[in-house]
Amino acid sequence: MKTILAVDDSGSLRQMLSFSLKAAGYGVIEAIDGEDGLNKAKQQTVDLVLTDQNMPGMDGLSLIKALRAMKNYQSVPILMLTTESGDDIKAMGRAAGANGWLVKPFDPTRLTEVVKKLIG
Amino acid sequence: MLSRESPSDLMETQVMRLLSGVSTHGDQHLAEVERDLVQMDVLLNEAIKKLCTSFMAIHHAIDLQQETLKSMLSTGEPAPEQAARLEMLREEIGQHVGAAVTGLQFQDMTSQLIGRMVQHLAGLRDVFGELGTNGAADLPESGSEEMLVMLNRISDRVGARCSELAGAVRSTVNQRHMESGDIELF
Repeated sequence: MKTILAVDDSGSLRQMLSFSLKAAGYGVIEAIDGEDGLNKAKQQTVDLVLTDQNMPGMDGLSLIKALRAMKNYQSVPILMLTTESGDDIKAMGRAAGANGWLVKPFDPTRLTEVVKKLIG
Repeated sequence: MLSRESPSDLMETQVMRLLSGVSTHGDQHLAEVERDLVQMDVLLNEAIKKLCTSFMAIHHAIDLQQETLKSMLSTGEPAPEQAARLEMLREEIGQHVGAAVTGLQFQDMTSQLIGRMVQHLAGLRDVFGELGTNGAADLPESGSEEMLVMLNRISDRVGARCSELAGAVRSTVNQRHMESGDIELF
């Protein structure tokens, strides 16, 4: 089973992500912020990372940079899932190493289609 | 250039600068709070509408599913059209649950808006706090020069507080509806 790391400081959002991805047959590891996400990513290499941008402490962009600096995360797909949709922040996400940008709120069907496209 | 102005002119300038600073910064914070409240109202209305529609649709689809199952049980053997109907209802329920999942994300967005409003209100409190800390209690006993220095210092600190806050507040939530957002793969 493919495993996805879902990083978001909102408990309800993590619950919705977990519900949607598990229903599509994926395993889900939840993390409450960038630092927690980084620790969990170190404990187990996951198949895809889905992260929010605005979180207390380590934000999404910092998490992506930290993950991309790790050997086992250089080619793992990373998606940003955020309320922000400005071109500048998207460009920063892309430069940091994100593979895609999803604007909240997400639709479970469209989300799982994108995930399936990236990791099968 | 300043020395050409009389002490009372200088005092007037400094008081005007301070009042104008407090008014501008106070107005900025309140305008942001007002904007976020309107945005939150829009999102909550959209979310509740979406959740009500999904809830009613799920309820209706489950009713139909139950009727089909009852009919299947009474005949003993499922007819192909009954099996097809059940499959169709399963898909329909899945779609409505998906729409409800999208609607339920209002909590995340409204919580971000509330966080911004709290930061702006704290900023406003800081501005007034600066006036209180450096205001009446510390008024120089005499001499317009000391008064000018004090007014100048308060204006600078009010400005500095607002600049600090501008960098710390999260960017706002611009979504005007609870439909799913754009997806872009790089």
